[in-house]
Amino acid sequence: MTVTAERTEMPSDLELVRAAAAGDAAAFEQLYQQHYRRVYSLCLRMLSSTTQAEDLTQEVFLQVFRKLGSFRGDSAFTTWLHRLTVNQVLMHFRKRGVKLEHTSEEGDFTNVVDTPLQSTRRISMVDRLALEKAIAELPPGYRTVFTLHDIEGYEHEEIAGLLGVSIGTSKSQLHKARMRLRELLMKK
Amino acid sequence: MICEQYQELISDYIDGLLELGEQTMVERHLGDCEPCRAVRDDLLQIVHFSHQLPEQAPSTALWSRIQNELAKEQPAGTSARLKLWWVRLRAQNFNLSLPQLAASAAALTIILSIGMIVFRHDSTTPPINEAGMAGAVTNLSKVDMDELEQQINRLSESIEQKKSEWNPELRATYERNLIYVNQSLAECRHQVKDNPADDAAQELMLNAYREKVRLLEGFESF
Repeated sequence: MTVTAERTEMPSDLELVRAAAAGDAAAFEQLYQQHYRRVYSLCLRMLSSTTQAEDLTQEVFLQVFRKLGSFRGDSAFTTWLHRLTVNQVLMHFRKRGVKLEHTSEEGDFTNVVDTPLQSTRRISMVDRLALEKAIAELPPGYRTVFTLHDIEGYEHEEIAGLLGVSIGTSKSQLHKARMRLRELLMKK
Repeated sequence: MICEQYQELISDYIDGLLELGEQTMVERHLGDCEPCRAVRDDLLQIVHFSHQLPEQAPSTALWSRIQNELAKEQPAGTSARLKLWWVRLRAQNFNLSLPQLAASAAALTIILSIGMIVFRHDSTTPPINEAGMAGAVTNLSKVDMDELEQQINRLSESIEQKKSEWNPELRATYERNLIYVNQSLAECRHQVKDNPADDAAQELMLNAYREKVRLLEGFESF
């Protein structure tokens, strides 16, 4: 089956996947064009490196190509692709020995809050550039949980399953990530 | 509870994850505590703007890199490479539909088969050059032949300039198909040279030239 140029309506992701699995290079390219930004954005925010993000994006789409035949359409293609992307990034972290839990020697979470508890100081209006920069400065563990929860919309149960931590740890790291971002944005 | 403990609950409060009792307790505290209200309002801003962060884009070269990697992963069999070639030709908005391209490939194969079986090539016969054809072609339109040869030359030059940027798989496919079509053309030329009055031989040669043009047009679009 090939996706012909004469169709006036956009083929669905499932139709493109089936066409690509049958060897239609145009269908695979269309899948790439429709989804590459989301995949790259997720990689970039979790890795904070454009080079690594591009390498991982490339690897994700090669994996998509290899696994096209195994996608049965039980879930939405975007969900499947997203999971694949997150798994690729986490595998990348594991290969590099990046610890996603940021703890002190005592085993408690490092206190990263510098602003006195009784301070009424506020961050100024958040601009996207400052927020992106601040996210990039987070430690890998905080950045991963923050990206998955606040940017990508994962629930704590899903994050805990992906990272192999407890739900309580996911919630705690998210809170510390947000507080750290608050500190970083106050300094700007 | 002290402020430090309330502030630990603010993220869960914002996300609606607190039990009703805890939620009420936090709300009561926030009503009385400006520092904790400042934390709540700042975290709300951060969460709100995080939802609106735009998608980023990688370099435009990334897709080419992915294509090159995919081309390396194609199986070594000729049929698989040809399949990929046909699919790519289709993807390049070639004027012909896939069935017509397939018919073109079939015609090419038939021409080659006929050239090998019917037109027996004498290996001692010296190679025919284009100039040598001038006398042999009597019934064929000279204009048709000139136009086709000009098209072939133009397309070949264009391909030569682009070929160095192709991936090795595409280059090898092009070279291989060029060998097939040139063999077919050589067979047809010999037959026309040996039988200058044979209309069928001349028509076959003209078709072989047209097929070469279609082949080159297909690759020239890469």
